[in-house]
Amino acid sequence: MTSVLPDQPFGLAAARAKPWVEEGSHSMRSLAYFIGTFAVALMLGIGSAWYMIEEGSPLTTTKVGPWASWNALANPVEDPYTRAHLARSGRLPLTSTVARYFMAKTDSRGHGLTSACEYLIVGSPINSRWWSIALYDDYGSLIENPSERYSFNSEEMLRHADGTYRVHLARTARPENWLPTGDGTDRNLVLMLRIYSPRETDSLGIGLVPDDRLPKIERLSCE
Amino acid sequence: MRIRIPGLYIVLGLVLAGLIHIVAVLTLPSLAPRNAHARLAALGPANTIIVLPAASPGKQVMPMMAPDVRYAFCRFDLTNGPVRLSATIADDLWLFGLYTPEGDNFYAVAGADLKRRDVQFVIVSPDQTVEEAGVDSPETSDEILVVNSPVTEGIAMIRAPLKGPSRAARAEEALKATSCGPYSKSG
Repeated sequence: MTSVLPDQPFGLAAARAKPWVEEGSHSMRSLAYFIGTFAVALMLGIGSAWYMIEEGSPLTTTKVGPWASWNALANPVEDPYTRAHLARSGRLPLTSTVARYFMAKTDSRGHGLTSACEYLIVGSPINSRWWSIALYDDYGSLIENPSERYSFNSEEMLRHADGTYRVHLARTARPENWLPTGDGTDRNLVLMLRIYSPRETDSLGIGLVPDDRLPKIERLSCE
Repeated sequence: MRIRIPGLYIVLGLVLAGLIHIVAVLTLPSLAPRNAHARLAALGPANTIIVLPAASPGKQVMPMMAPDVRYAFCRFDLTNGPVRLSATIADDLWLFGLYTPEGDNFYAVAGADLKRRDVQFVIVSPDQTVEEAGVDSPETSDEILVVNSPVTEGIAMIRAPLKGPSRAARAEEALKATSCGPYSKSG
């Protein structure tokens, strides 16, 4: 008996310890699962929110080739994604019933626009009071150049007899319409096509720009 | 049992991700302190016309401003009564836009559609009536356009798109000649 007694607590402890250890590893695993789940949920939730606000989604944007346009930009009835996009952009655009904005960060084949390459923009006339193609870096800033040329608009663009036009994006001077991409290190480029008072509208009064009126962006060569 | 637990966590994870997504989308606008209103408010007092300097490399009030448009704005404050924006439209291409601080463009009109050169917008807040605004029979006045604003503070922006670089100076002069201030019957 006396020899058994000291054993007993150990025996009991061992007997108790086993489920406790299992329970412990079980709750540890649950905790790990929970933390893991939470971390993944955080990344998924914030990542998807960020992407849908920065880049847009089929719910909020129209994509035509390289051009993307927010459908309800600055409309008083805009959705939370468009509202967040607008606030983050720092811009004050006109509502889509009086102006449409199309932004391109890639060429027509989907390659990112960069000053390391040369591009040719080929377009047809757009049915509106005024429109303009402007070039920016990816911070939305104009690109320094000696000729102080940052954009071409419907009034000043050199055109062919049929109304079509060609704009060159290049570091050094090109014939016809030339938008300089700047000296120095390579930068990413962003094109903004603003169309004021489009003459065609849909049933909601939102300016309509037929897909074939949006210019093609062709990559010519790279350094 | 072992298979069920990850399944449960996947569902939990997706629900959580959805909630986090919604919270992120709804809070992001308030976490963007450099929105357009904040940028413009830093430039000067309310109820005054401020002509923005032409956009140039590294010198832009807002990102992606048009280099071939000249801008003037008035940060209107209707707490002490309606605000009048007067302009002589120098070019058919001019565009007038009224905005909430969040950037909702609740009123926009093109100069060409106004079909007159001299125009006065009287901006009235929701709790002010046109009579209080002191605009007697606005329908008889060709020049006065009463615009109901859903907000007491906001931005009026005038855009002057240029037909070419040579028109810039004249457009800036014309924008400087516009005015913005408290509306008074006599004034």
